[in-house]
Amino acid sequence: MKLQTIKPEEVNVKVFMEVRRCFFDGIDWLLRLSFPSNLPVMSVSLSLNAFIRFFVSALLLTLSLPFAAAGREGPFSEGATGPLDGSGEDADSSLLILAAASLTDVLPTLAGLWEEETGVPVRFSFDATSRLAPQILQGIEADLFFSADEAWMEWLRERGGIREDTRMPLLGNELVLAVPTGGEFQPGEPSQLTDPELRLLAVAGENVPAGRYARAALASTGVWRAVEDRVVRSGNVRGALEWVALGEVDAAVVYRTDALAEPRVRIAFVFPEGTYPPITYPAAVTATAPMATRAIEFLEFCRSPAAREVFRAQGFLPPRQRAGSGAGGGPDVLPDPWSAVRISLLVALGATLAGFLPSVWLGWVLARKDFFGKSILATVALAPLVLPPVVTGFLLLSLLGSQGPLGGWLAGLGLPVPFTLLGATLAALTVGLPLYVVSVRNAFQAVDPRYEEVSWTLGRRPWPTFMRVTFPLAIPGIAAGAVLAFARALGEFGATVVLAGNIEGSTRTIALAVYTLLESPQGREAIWILVGASVLISLLALLGYEALSRRQRRQMEIRHVR
Amino acid sequence: MSGDGRNPLRGHEGDQGLALPRKAPVERRPFLEVDITLPVGAGEQEIKLESDALSVAVFGPSGGGKSTFLRTLAGVERRSSGKVRFGREVWLDSEREIFVPPWERSVGWVPQDYLLFPHLRVRDNLGYGGGSPQEIAEMAALLFVDHLLDRRPRRLSGGEQQRVALGRALLSRPKMLLLDEPFSALDRPLRNRVGTQIGTYMRAREIPLILVSHDEADAAALAQEHWMLSQGRLVRVEG
Repeated sequence: MKLQTIKPEEVNVKVFMEVRRCFFDGIDWLLRLSFPSNLPVMSVSLSLNAFIRFFVSALLLTLSLPFAAAGREGPFSEGATGPLDGSGEDADSSLLILAAASLTDVLPTLAGLWEEETGVPVRFSFDATSRLAPQILQGIEADLFFSADEAWMEWLRERGGIREDTRMPLLGNELVLAVPTGGEFQPGEPSQLTDPELRLLAVAGENVPAGRYARAALASTGVWRAVEDRVVRSGNVRGALEWVALGEVDAAVVYRTDALAEPRVRIAFVFPEGTYPPITYPAAVTATAPMATRAIEFLEFCRSPAAREVFRAQGFLPPRQRAGSGAGGGPDVLPDPWSAVRISLLVALGATLAGFLPSVWLGWVLARKDFFGKSILATVALAPLVLPPVVTGFLLLSLLGSQGPLGGWLAGLGLPVPFTLLGATLAALTVGLPLYVVSVRNAFQAVDPRYEEVSWTLGRRPWPTFMRVTFPLAIPGIAAGAVLAFARALGEFGATVVLAGNIEGSTRTIALAVYTLLESPQGREAIWILVGASVLISLLALLGYEALSRRQRRQMEIRHVR
Repeated sequence: MSGDGRNPLRGHEGDQGLALPRKAPVERRPFLEVDITLPVGAGEQEIKLESDALSVAVFGPSGGGKSTFLRTLAGVERRSSGKVRFGREVWLDSEREIFVPPWERSVGWVPQDYLLFPHLRVRDNLGYGGGSPQEIAEMAALLFVDHLLDRRPRRLSGGEQQRVALGRALLSRPKMLLLDEPFSALDRPLRNRVGTQIGTYMRAREIPLILVSHDEADAAALAQEHWMLSQGRLVRVEG
């Protein structure tokens, strides 16, 4: 293929990778620091350059995460539009289609049929509609847009993102209640959702289409007030579906097609027609489509009998009455920034306090003890530093979820972990612990073990020696680790969203609030309060870290006086 | 101090009277018996020493294992193997897997770089191993550091640090004092005064002293018995 266009998203990915490389250099430096030869104190000051690079890149990375998550449009995309594709509509070029995540299973089948017929290959980018629509305005050179609702299509039309004459309703879908196959709670109609047996009900985020439809359906069937406290929000429909499939929630409001595709759930009932705005998947050719003619042909192909058959087999319905331009389920509900700041501080503080004893113990063991399996222990303790946080979150959910080996026991004690403040704190703790432990270990390593030996010869046993000599000497370094863990906990996103969900007023931290705001067309201005708050807190924390590390070094300087 | 039962020179339960073992040698064994193998650099060093003297100096070239020898006596060098007996106490016997931890040995160890606790004031450094406020004040006066009691070690000269380290060791009521290169930091005029006072103090309490130094002349002045480490062996030097 001679098409060599650099998509803006690719540029962003490149910048992102570069920042990430710096970040991992920093981790490498941290790890080298953790296995020092003799003088960790010296190597700290020598690697100050690496140190600064690490934290600047870490900061950039943290800042860019919400943007990267929101469809890789962010501060790096300004003016990053690649060279325009001047080659016109070559027969061997491919179509790029942006499509709602719920079409992931069906569209590729269709594209296969189409390519057989016309020889034109199709590429896809599947994501939440709320993330795809802004990408089109950012200049992504896509040809077609398949939206999961009319609201986002309307949003694009108002901003000139689509060719209005090509816009058409393509498919319909239904809203259903999915419950775990073989679960105890098997309601037959919406009114039964008030049953106390329903403890948790998963719904997609309030600003993604599925979330709005769900809220409308629950409101108009008169159960919203009763179930409001039991609702947990996931990022998108697939997240809600995964929770119900794992049995972490008792039910989830999802699309009929999603429920059909998941063998671990069954459909308890279909929400009656009219209780929510008709679900329509509109499609349109983008205003800047490089291959507009081909794109229109593909749209027509989607309405052919053969295509209809493919859609029907997947559970999709023909489109209903074209919906008005109004958003289903009322106006967007925007997160309260101050509640997010409060929760973030609470979670970060909780994680830092709870991490104190484990970190001091682990750091000390790693600094002073030599035993079989030490490197394995170190690896496990440091793993969350390099594991994708989402993976960490998933592992935590498997362990601490109500079906997990530890979670059931904790729930029995009245301490349920998933979707609670406790869960958010544990996620932040797990992800922040490696930084904590590494700092503490370095602090202990900087304390000359001969101070302990002198203390022993003066008649103090190891434990009093630890309390009177080792620990006081390591305090600045331990405090620096606490500050670092605190800052990391503030920035935590991936593990939190999986383990604790995104619940306003309960687990929605700054990072999650930014993420949610990015999903709403109206949320983009309110973001700046949160961005400002997190930059401020992070910078203060890093300044504190620097000051404390310097203090640790100064305290040890006595050794060099002769 | 004559009733101080902690001093092995005065014997333990079952021993008759107040007679010192070296004067009334019931078992005819020297009070200190060392036969150990030390790690030195990449290799090893054997040290065999038997002594009845109240003060013993060991000198030899730098890096010859002198410090490791003292560390072994203090009980903080776990890589050494062999036998160490002090009075009636066996501190180390690798064959019988005996190892008395340092906190049960009551030795006063003054390392070459003193290792004063940097976070504690001079007063708390002195009293770390024991001693009432009054004893601390007396010791500080004896060592000419009574004007420094509220300072931190960071703000002391090398000689001042050394004297505080010595006081800290003595206040823990040691059964034996171990000095590593004690002549490196003391300034000359003070050295004589301090040396005299400490010598008197220790003789009055009959605390045995073992010092290691690379400087033969200095070492000779303070000790009754002299040993030299040369060509991998430790030999007694007469005179």
